[in-house]
Amino acid sequence: MLSKLRDPSEKTLAVMLLSPAFALLLAIVVYPIGKLIYNSLFAIDKDGAFLGLQNYVDVWQDPLFWNATQNTLLITLITVPGALIVGLALALLANLPFKRKWPVRLSLLLPWALPLSFAGLIFAWFFHTEYGVVNDVLMRLGLQDEPTSWLLKPRWAFAAICLTIIWKTASFMALILLAGLQMIPRSLYEAAEVDGANLWQQFWQITIPMLMPSIVVALIFRTITALQTFDIPYTMTKGGPGEATETLAMLIHKYTIDYSDIGFGSTLAVFMFVISLVVTGFYLNHIGKNAA
Amino acid sequence: MKKRQALKFTALALAAGLCAGSVWAQQTTLRVFVGPNQRPDLQQKLFQEYNKANPNVKVEIETGGATSELQRQYLSTVLNAKDSAIDLFLIDIVNPAQYSSKGWIEPLDKYVGGPAALRNDYLPVYQQANVIDGKVFAMPSQGDAMFMYYRKDLLAKYGVAEPKTWDELAAAAKKIMAGEGNANLQGLSIQGAPIEGAVCTFLLPYWGQGKQFNDAGGKLTLDKPAAVKGLNAWLGMVDQGVIKKNVAEVKTPDTVNEFKAGQVVFAINWGFAFDRFKDDADSKVKGQVGVMPLPAMAGGKSATCMGGWQWAMNAYSTHKDEAGKLIKFLSSKQASAFVAKEGSILPVFQSVYADPEVNKVVPWFKDALPVVLAAQSRPMVNDYGQVSDIIRTTTSAILARTKTPEAGVDEIAARVGRLMR
Amino acid sequence: MSMAQQHGLWSSPMLRWIAAGIVVINGFFPAVWILFTSLKPESELVQKPITWWPHGPTLENYVRAFTDQPLLTYLKNSVLVASGATLLSLVVSAFAAYAIARLNLKYRQLILTCIVASSMFPLVTLLVPIFETMRALGWLNSYAALIFPYVVLNLPVCTLVLVSFFQSIPKDLENAAMIDGCTRMGALVRVVVPLAAPGVFTAGILAFVNSWDEFLLALSLNSSPAVRTLPVGIALYQGEFTFPWPIISAALIVSIVPIALLIAAFQERVVGGLTQGGLKG
Repeated sequence: MLSKLRDPSEKTLAVMLLSPAFALLLAIVVYPIGKLIYNSLFAIDKDGAFLGLQNYVDVWQDPLFWNATQNTLLITLITVPGALIVGLALALLANLPFKRKWPVRLSLLLPWALPLSFAGLIFAWFFHTEYGVVNDVLMRLGLQDEPTSWLLKPRWAFAAICLTIIWKTASFMALILLAGLQMIPRSLYEAAEVDGANLWQQFWQITIPMLMPSIVVALIFRTITALQTFDIPYTMTKGGPGEATETLAMLIHKYTIDYSDIGFGSTLAVFMFVISLVVTGFYLNHIGKNAA
Repeated sequence: MKKRQALKFTALALAAGLCAGSVWAQQTTLRVFVGPNQRPDLQQKLFQEYNKANPNVKVEIETGGATSELQRQYLSTVLNAKDSAIDLFLIDIVNPAQYSSKGWIEPLDKYVGGPAALRNDYLPVYQQANVIDGKVFAMPSQGDAMFMYYRKDLLAKYGVAEPKTWDELAAAAKKIMAGEGNANLQGLSIQGAPIEGAVCTFLLPYWGQGKQFNDAGGKLTLDKPAAVKGLNAWLGMVDQGVIKKNVAEVKTPDTVNEFKAGQVVFAINWGFAFDRFKDDADSKVKGQVGVMPLPAMAGGKSATCMGGWQWAMNAYSTHKDEAGKLIKFLSSKQASAFVAKEGSILPVFQSVYADPEVNKVVPWFKDALPVVLAAQSRPMVNDYGQVSDIIRTTTSAILARTKTPEAGVDEIAARVGRLMR
Repeated sequence: MSMAQQHGLWSSPMLRWIAAGIVVINGFFPAVWILFTSLKPESELVQKPITWWPHGPTLENYVRAFTDQPLLTYLKNSVLVASGATLLSLVVSAFAAYAIARLNLKYRQLILTCIVASSMFPLVTLLVPIFETMRALGWLNSYAALIFPYVVLNLPVCTLVLVSFFQSIPKDLENAAMIDGCTRMGALVRVVVPLAAPGVFTAGILAFVNSWDEFLLALSLNSSPAVRTLPVGIALYQGEFTFPWPIISAALIVSIVPIALLIAAFQERVVGGLTQGGLKG
C-alpha cells in the first residue's frame, strides 16, 4: 500500500490529485445545487407538494424573465469582446519597455483592487447629473451646456453600465494575457524579423496564436461572469429606469432575497445555468481538445 | 438491601442533579438583532435595565446590515435556514405581514394581550400595521413619519404662510426662488430614486386626495385617475422648476445634505433629518428649520407615510417565553419615553409626545404629533416586497419620464392587482 | 518581452508617453478620486460646481473610519481569510490541474467542464444551503466558514489557468526529471510549478483578490464583528438614510492599499523576466 503511495499508478495518482477538489465541490456546490433543483420542483412552504414543471412554465411566461435575459445577453455581447480588446491593449502596453514599469502595471491592476460592490457606486457617482465628474468635464470642455442625466435614460444608462464593467474587467483580462505574453519565447519574434515579417504580421501570426490558450481561459471566465452581472447594475441603477438595465442575476436576487420566493428564484437559477452552459459550451469544447 | 439503597441514592442524586440543572437552566441568554442605525447603544441601556429587574436573563445584541436592504439580505438567509440563534429582531414597519406569511415570526398575543393592547395610547396606525389575521405580530419600538421641513427664515422674509395645499406650496416656492435669484436653490426636494421612500412619493399625493390604496382585506382599491393626478402633480412641479429635473436620482441622504447646505426651501424627509439640520457641524440652516404637516391636494386632506421599527420574535426561537416578556418591556411607555429623551426617537405612544420631560429635550415633538397622527401605513400584504418593488420602480421611471403616468399607473394596477386580490 | 514592440511604432517616446498616460489615467483615476474624497468634509460634496482637489483637506475621515468601526480588525480578518483561501486554492487547483493536464484520464474534458460549470450558478441561490452546512459543522463566525467556500469559488479560475499553463510546458522536462529518479509528485513540485510560475502567481492573485472582495458569503456567514471582513465592514458605514462618502472613501483606501502593495510586489514575478530563458525556442 505504501509503495503505491510513493509511486502510485496513474489512476491512483489521478484520484489522489482530484479528490480534494471534488470533495470540496461536493460539499459546497453539489449539495446546494441539488437543493436548488429540489426547490424548483417542490413547494417551499409547509406542504412541500410536488409542483412538477409549474415553476418552469411560470418563468417561461414571465415577460420580466425575457427582459432580463435579453439585457444579460446584450451586456455579455458588448462587454466580453470589449474587455478582451481593451485588456489585450492594456497587456501589450504593460509589456512595453518603459523605464519605470510599475506605474503602468499598477494602473493596469488597480481597477481590480476596488471592490466590485463599490466600483458600481463610484461610477454611479461619476455619472450623476449634478455631482458627477463626467458632466463636469464635458461642460468644462464646452461639449454640452446642460448636464445630462446619464443614468435616467435607458440607453445611456445601459452604456454607462457596460463602460464601467469593461473598465473593471479589462484588467482581469489583462492580467491573464500578460502572463501569457510572458511565456512567448523571444526567439520566435527574432526569427520572424529575420524572415522580414512586419509588426502586424508578427502580431497575428505569433502573438495571437501563442496567446490563444490564455485568451480562451480569459474569455470563458469573462463570459460566465458577464452572464452573472449583478453588482454594477444593481448599485448604479437598481435595474432602472424601469427594468431597462435589469439582469438575470438581479432578477434572481430580487426573487430570492426581496420577495423570499425561493422556488421561483431557484428556477431562474436553473435557467441561468442552462444559458451559461450553452453560451460557454463551445469554448469548453475547445479547451478540452487542447488538453490532449 | 444494597440494591434498594443504591436505587434510593441514585434517585436522590438524580433529584439533586435535576434541581441544580433547573437552577442552571434558568440563566437565559437572549440574542437580539438590531441594525447599527437603530441606536443599539440605547437598546443596550434598556437591556441593562431589564437585566437588573430580571437577573436571570442576559441580553446580547447582534448588529448586522446597515440598511434595511442589507438587513433583509442577512435575515432572509438566516430565517430561510430556520436558524434559532436570534430570538428577537427589530424589523421595519412594512415587514410584519411578509415575515409572518413565511412563518418566520411568532404571534405575540399571549405575551402582550392581543390586538386590544395596541389600542392603549399607541399611535393608531399600529392597529393596521402590526395586526395580521387578527393576531399581533410585532410591537412598536421606534416611530417615524415623513415630515415637511421648511426654511422658516425664507418664508418669513417673503411673508409666506405655511402652505396647506400643494398648489400653495408650489406658488410659495416659486415666489421665494424668484426673490432669492439663486440658481442652486430648489423649491421642493422629494425622493424619486427607486428606493423604499419612492413608495411614499407615490402614495403621498394619492392619499392627499383622501383615497385609499387597499381595503382592510388587503385587496387593491387603486383609483387610477387619482393616482395619475397625484403623479402629474409632481411632474407639474418639475416643469415649473420647483422640483429639480433629475428628481429620479434623488435619494434620502441627498435631500438631507442639500437642505443642510441651504439649497432647498421645502423638503420631505423622515424624522431623523430634524436633528441633522439642527445639530450637524456643517449645517448652514441651524435654527431656521420649521416642521409642518404635509400639504393636501386641493379638496383633500393632509396625509403622510408612517415609518419606524418594530420588535418581532423569531418563530424558531428556543426562548419564546423569556423573549415575550422582553418584548413587553421594550414596547412599554417607559422604554418609548427613554429613547425619545436620549435619542430623539419619535415615540410610539401618543401621550409621550406631550410629555414635559420629553419636550424639554425635543420641543419639536409637539409639532410632530399632528403629523404622526395623520400617518398611514403602506399596504400590509404578504408580498409587500414585490408590491414595493413594483411601485417604487415604476414611480421612479415616471419621474425620469421614461414612462407616462397613465402607462405607469396601469402597470401598477395590473401587477400589484394580481398580488393583492 | 516582445522584441517586435521595441521597434517601429513604439520607438517614438512621445507615443509611448501618451500610451502610458492613457493607461495610467484609466487605472488611477477612480482610486485618486476616492483618495481626494477621503480628504474632503462631507459638506464639500454638495457644492456646485463640484470640486476636484479638496478645498479644506482633513484627516478626520480616516480617524472616524478607524473609530466608528474596528477597521483594523476587519483588515486583519480579510488578510487572514484571503491568504488562507489563496494558499489552499493554489494547492487544490494545482493538484487538479496537473491531473487534468498531464495524466491520461478518460473523462478529462468532463472533469474540467464540471469544475468550470460549478461557477455557473449565482452565489445568491447557493447561500442558504451553504449557511446550513456551515451551521451544521459549527463553523459559523469562523475563518473556516469563508476559506473553504472561497476555495470552491476560486477553483474554476485557478484550475483552468493552471491547466493552460501546465499544458504549455513541454513534457520532456518532467520526463527528464523522472528519469533522474523523481516521482510524478516530485516532478510536479520541482519542475512544473517553478516553470509555470507566472501562471501560479496569476492564479494566486486572482484567488486573493476574489477572496478579498467577496461580500455575500461574508455578510451571511461571518456576521459577528470579531470575524467580519472588510467589504462587509465598509458597507456598514452607511446608514439607513445616510451615505458618508468621505468616511467610506477613507475605508476604501485602507482596503485598497494592501492589495495594491501585493500587486506591486508580485507584478514583477508575473510580468518580469522570470521565464525569459526558461523555455527553449
